[in-house]
Amino acid sequence: MILARLDVDGFRNLEGAADFSPSLNIFYGDNAQGKTNWLEAVYVLGTTKSFRTSQLRDCISFDAARSLITGLTERESISKQLQTLISPSSKELYANGKRETLSRYLGNLTVFSLSLEGMEVIRGDASNRRRLIDRGIVALSPAYLDRLAEYNRVVKQKNKLLVTAQESGSPARFYSQIEVWNEQLISVASEVHTARSSYVQMAEAQLERENHGRAIFGAESVSIGYRSCLEGKGDLSRYSELLHERLALRMPAEIAAGHCLIGPHRDDIELLADGREVARFGSAGQQRSTLFLLVLAQISIYTSTYEERPVLLIDDIDAELDRGRIEALISELEGRAQTFVSTSRRAIANRYRDRARVLLVERGRIAKDTPAFYETAAPATRQALEVQTLDAYDEEEAPALE
Amino acid sequence: MLDYAEPVTRLIDELKKLPGIGHKSAQRLAFYLLRSGRNEAERLIDSIREVKDKIILCSTCNNFTDVDPCRFCAGAGRDHRIILVVEEPLNLVTIEKTREYKGLYHVLHGALSPIRGIGPEELKIKGLLERLRSSEVEEVILATNPNTEGEATANYLSRLLKPLGLKITRIAMGVPVGSDLEYADEVTMHKALTNRHEI
Ligand SMILES: [Zn+2]
Repeated sequence: MILARLDVDGFRNLEGAADFSPSLNIFYGDNAQGKTNWLEAVYVLGTTKSFRTSQLRDCISFDAARSLITGLTERESISKQLQTLISPSSKELYANGKRETLSRYLGNLTVFSLSLEGMEVIRGDASNRRRLIDRGIVALSPAYLDRLAEYNRVVKQKNKLLVTAQESGSPARFYSQIEVWNEQLISVASEVHTARSSYVQMAEAQLERENHGRAIFGAESVSIGYRSCLEGKGDLSRYSELLHERLALRMPAEIAAGHCLIGPHRDDIELLADGREVARFGSAGQQRSTLFLLVLAQISIYTSTYEERPVLLIDDIDAELDRGRIEALISELEGRAQTFVSTSRRAIANRYRDRARVLLVERGRIAKDTPAFYETAAPATRQALEVQTLDAYDEEEAPALE
Repeated sequence: MLDYAEPVTRLIDELKKLPGIGHKSAQRLAFYLLRSGRNEAERLIDSIREVKDKIILCSTCNNFTDVDPCRFCAGAGRDHRIILVVEEPLNLVTIEKTREYKGLYHVLHGALSPIRGIGPEELKIKGLLERLRSSEVEEVILATNPNTEGEATANYLSRLLKPLGLKITRIAMGVPVGSDLEYADEVTMHKALTNRHEI
């Protein structure tokens, strides 16, 4: 599926619409003009979340009551209109004008993103890594979202019961009730555990195969593994039984803590570069390449499952990568994803303007895009411009990765 | 709010307490009542007073009724060997609509939900146990909602009732989690009943 067009209304400083290429799109412009906002709008349209804020209402522009993002997607010449309407108190999703539930809506446009914020996946707490994996699974099967919601609901109910038991002074009276919620928890937890472990296995297989990617980012071999909080406590291949045993054993501890101590909400995803834990021992460069390889692996898993390209967003591409790596990454992504990048470097915009749709962003609007951008210059000037900017590009080489 | 005369504000406030009624709907209803004839308003007042005066909970099954025991519990045509357990009186109506079920009912008036402060004591479970100990019941069908809380409640009841040596069954809902029996149609409900399984 391809995002062919995006219309924005009341979203941050953005105005108007943009048309896209099915392969590479470059939002180019000075800082604070709204390049990242355009990427964010694409992200929100696909995921109904922002990669910059947990409060979606922050995206509503100051002079608007609500923001509306309208996208036109194309899948084998069938087009579909997607809309996300954000108001201060709610979020409404529509496909072809019809209101949709979140899990039904999410299958329409699959978006992955690479941004500085994404480094939290490597450096932050385990919830960031679980979220990355969960998003990958949702891209494959949106119904997984309902299972996650169900799991979180059970955890919330059980947490409350544990607090009540603790405060009652006679926790034993609550054992049978806790057992009931444990049983609810076990059935959903097993589904979450199975989905996550098999997804991580697919990612690991993909990372082993990702020779190109590894060539782009250096020699590190990156590997990923699912680390259940029950690891070392017994036979994980009998997950439900093991969880059952552990929950029974830890009931007094859970009551004392007043919250659930065991379950997939306590699991982690281990990331190794050259056999060592990236978050602790990896250099900044290794951490960045690990994230890139991981997202590339997610894209490959998606494409091999659905035989169609997802959307990939790379914010501030030159802050992340040097020229050689940008070049390698862009050829690597050709045919694998519909890519949207942002940059403030004219040189990058120029360099890829034959292969990409370049969208010049000024004060939130698309001031020009490639056809215009290209046509304004006469052939001779164009050639001169090209030579000049390529030189300029070499001078302003981005800092190399370690 | 000073926009209306005080009695109007009070009416709006009362209407707003009804489920599914927000401020705007409450306003619309209040103004409808203001414009309507005195007779219409009196009929509404009377019907509310009447249900409050005459409708009680059946002392056996806890369903809403105007006679005690209710028509189901007293009914000679009903099969007294089966009791079907539901969360709310409304769910009972859905099951009656299938015209397939001829047994008795038991209404819990809720489902387990620690977040909402609902534990076993808050539900009409004690009465169910008494009924089962002193009657000819052979099977208990657990027809709580197929969502997190309903499943937990069914699970709790099955543990509690197992020692009594009865057949305990759970309705088979092919409907997605998070749903409510209230929205199930007759066909779905009929299937759920016929395909119930022992737990
Ligand atoms: Zn009755």
